[in-house]
Amino acid sequence: MATQLQLTPAPLRARLRRNRLRVLLFLAPGLVGFAVFLVYPLVMTVWLSFTNSNMISPARFVGLRNYRYLLDGDPLIWHAIRNTGWLVAVMVPAQVLFALGVAMVTARLKAGASLFRTLFYLPALAPPVAATVAFVCMFNPNSGPVNRILGLLGIHGPLWFNSPGWSKPALTLLALWGSGTMMVIFLAALLEVPAELYEAAELDGAGSWHRFRYVTLPTISPVVLFATVTGVIAGLQYFTQAMVASQVANGNIQPAPGYPDGSTLTFPQQLYIAGFNQFHAGYACALAVVLFVVAMAFTVVLLRRASGFDIEEAPR
Amino acid sequence: MSESRGGPVTRTARRPRRTVAASLLAATALLAAACTTGGATSKADTGADDTTPVTITFWHGLSSPHETASVNAVLAKFHKKYPYITVKAVAAQTDDKVNQAIRGGTAPDVASSFNAANVGGWCSSGAFQDLTPDIEADHVDMSQIPKAVQSYTAFGGKRCTMPWLADTFGLYYNKKLFAKAGITSPPKTMSELAADTKKLTTFNADGSIRTAGFMPYLGVYGMLTEHLVPSWGGKWLTADGQSNVGGDPAFAQALTWQKSLVDWFGAKKLVTFKAGMGDEFSAQNAFETGKLAMMVDGEWRNSFIKNDKADIDYGTAVMPAADGKSQLYGAGYVGGNVIGMPRGAKHPGAAWKLIKFLTTDTDALTTLADAIGNVPTTKAALDSPALGLSKDPNFAPFLQVFKNPLTTTTPASADGGAYLTNFGHFVEKWQTGSVPDLKAGLTAVDKQNNAALKLGQ
Amino acid sequence: MTTTYAPAPARQTRAASPHQAARGRASRRRKLVWIAEHAVAVGLACAFIGPIVFIFLTSVMTDGQSLTTNLWPHHWQWSNYRTVFATAPVGTWLVNTVLYAVAATAATLLSSVPIAYALARLRFKGRNTAFLCVITMMMLPPQVLVIPMYLMWARLHLTGTIWPLVLPSLFGDAFSVFLLRQFLLTVPEDYLNAARIDGCGELRVLTRVVLPMMRPALVAVGLFSFFNAWNDYYGPLIYTGETPAHWTLALGLATFKTSHAVQWNLTMAATLIAMAPVIIVFFFAQKAFIEGVTLTGVKG
Repeated sequence: MATQLQLTPAPLRARLRRNRLRVLLFLAPGLVGFAVFLVYPLVMTVWLSFTNSNMISPARFVGLRNYRYLLDGDPLIWHAIRNTGWLVAVMVPAQVLFALGVAMVTARLKAGASLFRTLFYLPALAPPVAATVAFVCMFNPNSGPVNRILGLLGIHGPLWFNSPGWSKPALTLLALWGSGTMMVIFLAALLEVPAELYEAAELDGAGSWHRFRYVTLPTISPVVLFATVTGVIAGLQYFTQAMVASQVANGNIQPAPGYPDGSTLTFPQQLYIAGFNQFHAGYACALAVVLFVVAMAFTVVLLRRASGFDIEEAPR
Repeated sequence: MSESRGGPVTRTARRPRRTVAASLLAATALLAAACTTGGATSKADTGADDTTPVTITFWHGLSSPHETASVNAVLAKFHKKYPYITVKAVAAQTDDKVNQAIRGGTAPDVASSFNAANVGGWCSSGAFQDLTPDIEADHVDMSQIPKAVQSYTAFGGKRCTMPWLADTFGLYYNKKLFAKAGITSPPKTMSELAADTKKLTTFNADGSIRTAGFMPYLGVYGMLTEHLVPSWGGKWLTADGQSNVGGDPAFAQALTWQKSLVDWFGAKKLVTFKAGMGDEFSAQNAFETGKLAMMVDGEWRNSFIKNDKADIDYGTAVMPAADGKSQLYGAGYVGGNVIGMPRGAKHPGAAWKLIKFLTTDTDALTTLADAIGNVPTTKAALDSPALGLSKDPNFAPFLQVFKNPLTTTTPASADGGAYLTNFGHFVEKWQTGSVPDLKAGLTAVDKQNNAALKLGQ
Repeated sequence: MTTTYAPAPARQTRAASPHQAARGRASRRRKLVWIAEHAVAVGLACAFIGPIVFIFLTSVMTDGQSLTTNLWPHHWQWSNYRTVFATAPVGTWLVNTVLYAVAATAATLLSSVPIAYALARLRFKGRNTAFLCVITMMMLPPQVLVIPMYLMWARLHLTGTIWPLVLPSLFGDAFSVFLLRQFLLTVPEDYLNAARIDGCGELRVLTRVVLPMMRPALVAVGLFSFFNAWNDYYGPLIYTGETPAHWTLALGLATFKTSHAVQWNLTMAATLIAMAPVIIVFFFAQKAFIEGVTLTGVKG
């Protein structure tokens, strides 16, 4: 506002000070939260990763021992890394593509579109634990309906959650079942593509694939990118469904992480086991540091490519 | 005057953000200064008898109704002997919960666990307090407790738990199915066990298993490596605490026997059958419903069968010994509940009295042992005429295993039995056929176990 | 599939003219496409809803039948639901879950709105850095910080309760701040300036002018906070694991089958009990739900 420049320096300084105070007041909970719930634990995680902390007796500095164990001592860590990597590389794209496909089908429906949308979204509401328990029951190779139906079609169903090769695909099916949120977001984005663009493309003689590639995709790409990145972050943190599925499928009271045969052991699970079950909290912090670095790498990639985030955007 | 649009991130980074940055640094510094892990270890209170009324909390892992009722009955006896101590018992507690409570400073006064594997971690980290001063002050006679049982309740020179009822493992078999298959007595060697299994197993028309003679797939019900390996006399750790699964040929022999039986069934069929087995501790237990003809399980199964009113005509025997190792016949695996005083217990004096009562009072031991069908852990209790179990023929093999001097256990280790977990992972790969060279695989497991053991130090 | 404007090369039909023939063919084709699309949609709907039907059917089977491959219950054992409540403290779990979800949602809304407002509408140095910090917090997996956080709560003797789950929401939730900030950017500055000129301080601008305009965003954030808390397994596992009296539904359901030695029928009944409140709320607030989800995606 031009009039501000005409004010004398003293009132201006006072006004700026008030402004700063006001900002601090509004931001106060966030600042405290940032310091207490991000900066402090992050610093402590890094520090503890160089100790032999077990969360009970005082920690002792041990240098790089935890990191050395990570690199060549821990027999399970490469399983964990591979599994989490599989989830990021396979489950996330599968979810995005499936949600997009379902959204496209729904967008083209004329009769009953909103009913179908509700039906597709409903499973996404199921709490992850409940959904996992239900799926393990459904995919039970002995008494579950999936193998029974496959049997009627003449296919000998695999052991699903009890088979090292099929457990992650089974978890992926679970994720696809619950991708209703992504689907609704994609649907909204698809419906916002201006009809004129489609008509113009048709007039130019574009077939449906070309229309998709040159009209639909560019318009919805920010939404797809956002969904993919949040999907990747969720994949890096994937814990609940893997943990619950392995325990329920194994059928023992003691948890069986990674059952069967380490195939569902994710990186966050290994962190939990090392820190909370095996008295190796220092080592768990080393794992946490690795997870942090990887997650931040993806975040940086996102920040560089996402012009859609309006990071520097001024108020309109 | 508006903010710059779309400049590179570095532009804002150079601008001083004094207020925000300063408050963050201050907060972090304050919190970092306040942070240290751990605190003072409390010493056991063996002071003079203090009879002011006190309430202590006791966490145990038993969960089925008949077991919790039995524990409460024994606690009532304790209250009669020490009327000023009231015990608040909490059932169905797992080791995770106990650990979390200790870390969180909300530990109970007394805690028990099924999982003796954690004793090493508890003793070495101080999570459970060393009971030796209390034991010496009260002149508790430790020779009443068999050596093997003593070994899984202490570690590194610290006795941080006491054994509270033990479990031994043996063979349960279905007499009716035996008769149908023409088998007259339970197998005494592992090759007899394999042969009997093949006779007892029946298949459906589509090739899937209808009734399994025995479940050789490790990880199902009581079929765990630690219960199988004693038939070959395997020793998990060497005298100086190094992993021994590659060095001791017993492990390779046990796994070879096991895999040949798994392959006879077909690993996939076994997994499918396993997925259809009822929950281990429910009335639909596959043995109790006649779907499994023989199984290795603990002595408590007798009491479960009685309480589930299972319609089954069964017998018990000690586990068969490996061929050529007949001296091991009658020995087996012993493990059991452990009970101790977590760090941070608020009433250590009263807590110790409860621990001493539960673990050494003959009457308490025999009553509870009879009620839940476990093996009492002192010689006095074993020989007591009040012990009803000693008159039960189905219980006899389990008592025999307990008394046998060759009976072994899984030794304690500082990292909560990671060597067992690692071995379990290896076995999963092995029994599905993914390990081409058994000897090399076992040596690799040794290396992993030793690395894990070093990590905790 | 294209709509043709010119007559297509004639393939003789019974149509009177080439033009009509083309339209007839196109309309038949459209009908077929319509049928195909709806068939696919119906198939998908079956796949999505099938599991829920299965859960329900299994939940009323008898113990023995739930171990077989029968899909339809021979005998409808409705008492299973009562048995679930008798077997495990499901009522307690429900109460704890509701407490956690409501408290976390309220705390999140209360603290995140001012922060989002400051990031969107107040001007100060370092605003962009602050927003970057918000994005960083959003993207950070919670497992990275769990060990020191746990130690911190342990020193405060708050482990075993739901406080460690609720208290952090009092200090702003990154995802909520992000959403609200994006939404606030679309509120025209004119409204705010008008209020400022009228002499309102920023707080009054926020509460009197902006807040009423933010309703859809607030609903969206509220719904997401609520369901994140309702579905949370990791948090309760770490912080309430040691005190079964404070367990939430997620935690209880995960070990229901093995802790209580039950079969699949009771487990599925328990699963349905855990899912039911969410689905019921959804049916009452469908419109708000879908609007909220859409808002996340479009503004994100």
